[in-house]
Amino acid sequence: MKYTTIINNKTFEIEIQRDGSLLVNDKVIHVDFLNLDTSLYSLIIDNRSIELAIDETDGITELLVNGRLFEAQVLDERALFMANRRGTLGVSSGEIKSPMPGLIVEVRIGAGDTVAEGDTVIILESMKMQNELKAPISGTISEVAVKAGQTVEKNTSLVTITPDE
Amino acid sequence: MTDVQQRNITKVLIANRGEIAMRIIRACRDLGIGTVGVYSDVDRTALHVRYADEAVHIGPPQPRDSYLRMDKIIEAARRTGADAIHPGYGFLAENADFAQQVTDEGLIFIGPGPAAISQMGDKQSAREAVRRNGVPLIPGTEAGLHDDDVIAAAEKIGFPVMVKAVAGGGGKGMRVVNDLESLPNALKAARSEAESAFGNGDVYIEKMLVGARHIEFQILADMHGNTIHVGERECSIQRRNQKLVEESPSVFVDEDLRERMGKMAIAAAESVNYVNAGTIECLVDKDKNFYFLEMNTRLQVEHPVTELVHGIDLAKEQIRIARGRPMTYTESFLKPRGWAIECRINAEDPYNNFVPSTGKINVFSSPKGPGVRVDSGVYSGSEISPYYDSMIAKLITTGDTRQEALLRMRRALDEFVIMGVKHNIPFHINLMNSVSFIAGQFDTRWVEERFTMGTYESGPTEEDLELVAIAATLHSHRRRQLAAQVVAPAARDTSNWKWLSRWERIRR
Repeated sequence: MKYTTIINNKTFEIEIQRDGSLLVNDKVIHVDFLNLDTSLYSLIIDNRSIELAIDETDGITELLVNGRLFEAQVLDERALFMANRRGTLGVSSGEIKSPMPGLIVEVRIGAGDTVAEGDTVIILESMKMQNELKAPISGTISEVAVKAGQTVEKNTSLVTITPDE
Repeated sequence: MTDVQQRNITKVLIANRGEIAMRIIRACRDLGIGTVGVYSDVDRTALHVRYADEAVHIGPPQPRDSYLRMDKIIEAARRTGADAIHPGYGFLAENADFAQQVTDEGLIFIGPGPAAISQMGDKQSAREAVRRNGVPLIPGTEAGLHDDDVIAAAEKIGFPVMVKAVAGGGGKGMRVVNDLESLPNALKAARSEAESAFGNGDVYIEKMLVGARHIEFQILADMHGNTIHVGERECSIQRRNQKLVEESPSVFVDEDLRERMGKMAIAAAESVNYVNAGTIECLVDKDKNFYFLEMNTRLQVEHPVTELVHGIDLAKEQIRIARGRPMTYTESFLKPRGWAIECRINAEDPYNNFVPSTGKINVFSSPKGPGVRVDSGVYSGSEISPYYDSMIAKLITTGDTRQEALLRMRRALDEFVIMGVKHNIPFHINLMNSVSFIAGQFDTRWVEERFTMGTYESGPTEEDLELVAIAATLHSHRRRQLAAQVVAPAARDTSNWKWLSRWERIRR
């Protein structure tokens, strides 16, 4: 099986061969990869031993190694083909979702406004705190799905930003 | 003084949740005292409920319907035959009304008396009380002055000053004023903001200290007239007035300052006839002038750093004092031995403006080994709900020196595995690598104004990235293969039942 794995905007071509060895960017690597507990894994390559916690949700694989969290996208050939066709490969989404249930206190933008990455877009009150939700990318607001005073569930889509061309 | 009535405590109800409920239950177990936990709908599976001898359901998740319901908590104590209530911190811990009701019920409130709580709970009355005992206050004016008098006073105090609302809270009606010219307008704006927010337009001004540290003193007082201090805690590492890292002792406090501040802290506690454990919070400017901020009339979140360097169990001592016994005073309480640092591990995303994160903790594996203590109320599989604060755990490390404690903290942070919710361990790792923190050079504004996540974060090496990419790929590969096995039968064109019967016919 051939996979394309993207991590920190770097792409790795990884093929899992029939004998279980790997072809990583065309070099052969022997690995010992064990599942220890629900999300706990041990990987030994060239005598280097690392422990990882791995979790996969919504197509994103989260890996925690020595206190550092990595997010990886693992695509098989079909998924890679589809992503290339849609042009969405490695592009972060302009959709802002509610990270937790809460109350929308303030909506600072309207449809058609332009925003820069890092601009505060919405203020959400939850866990006794006012949280500023920021634009993940620069672009134009194409949709605002909520208004001030509204309560939202976790993962509700709040605002969509269309990236600048 | 000697005829204090001694009372027995055989069962304690803990009116709290999370790690502090666990901490108090453990202290009770050490003493052979029974425990009663209380829980809301969402806390049925919480660790403190599993760990307590008895557990009473007190209502819906919202704190005002459960953990803040005095009637339900007192009723739970009566029903289970508890003879004392420990409030922990937060919720009802600094509610004088609650302390009074508990006492009126003939139960023991493990904490100070209601009078001390209410006196220290009100800014103005707290200032008046401690001033009588010669405790230094941040220079400022009283409330209710006319603007002209406030302006005259500000000239004498010197700029910058802070304009604050008497009924204030949450930064509303608060303003920093840098010069005389802008003061009249600032006063006007603060008054109208306070008027609309609290229905009380009264304001006062306070000198603003630049480069100040937040240093607090632990106090213990028993019913036999003994009041001692158990050293200081350095709590300047904070963000939006929320402490993130605390240590004891403080690099900034020498023996002379410790003695002077310790005396002041004892005088402050004695000004309200304080009994039990409490904390005197102070601001200390760069010239080592210190000023009383407020007294917290409860056990603090950061109490473990004091316990570890002073060899004391504060939760047990609280119970002992509540029983009417003299505190177990020893010389070792007075002098810090070694160093302790605490990091608050919160479900907050340090890469995204510290936005709280909720959800299920899939993996929780805490660090172990020499000099490491973890106080937490969660486990693998438990939920961080949006109803309560975002603290997951407190990680405390100790060492003979600050450097040893710090190196252990780095090691322990690397070892800590929490998956499922975003958390601030990366923030702490970067903090432990920062030159200013290592050198002990910081004030209360440092994290907000000068610390950024990027500065001390070295990007991963090519080799690291390749290892992680390999692990991610193998993980996804296995999941897809498993999924393929599960999904395959359903991909058949007919239903499984038909397929099964056909298959059985063939076999017949």
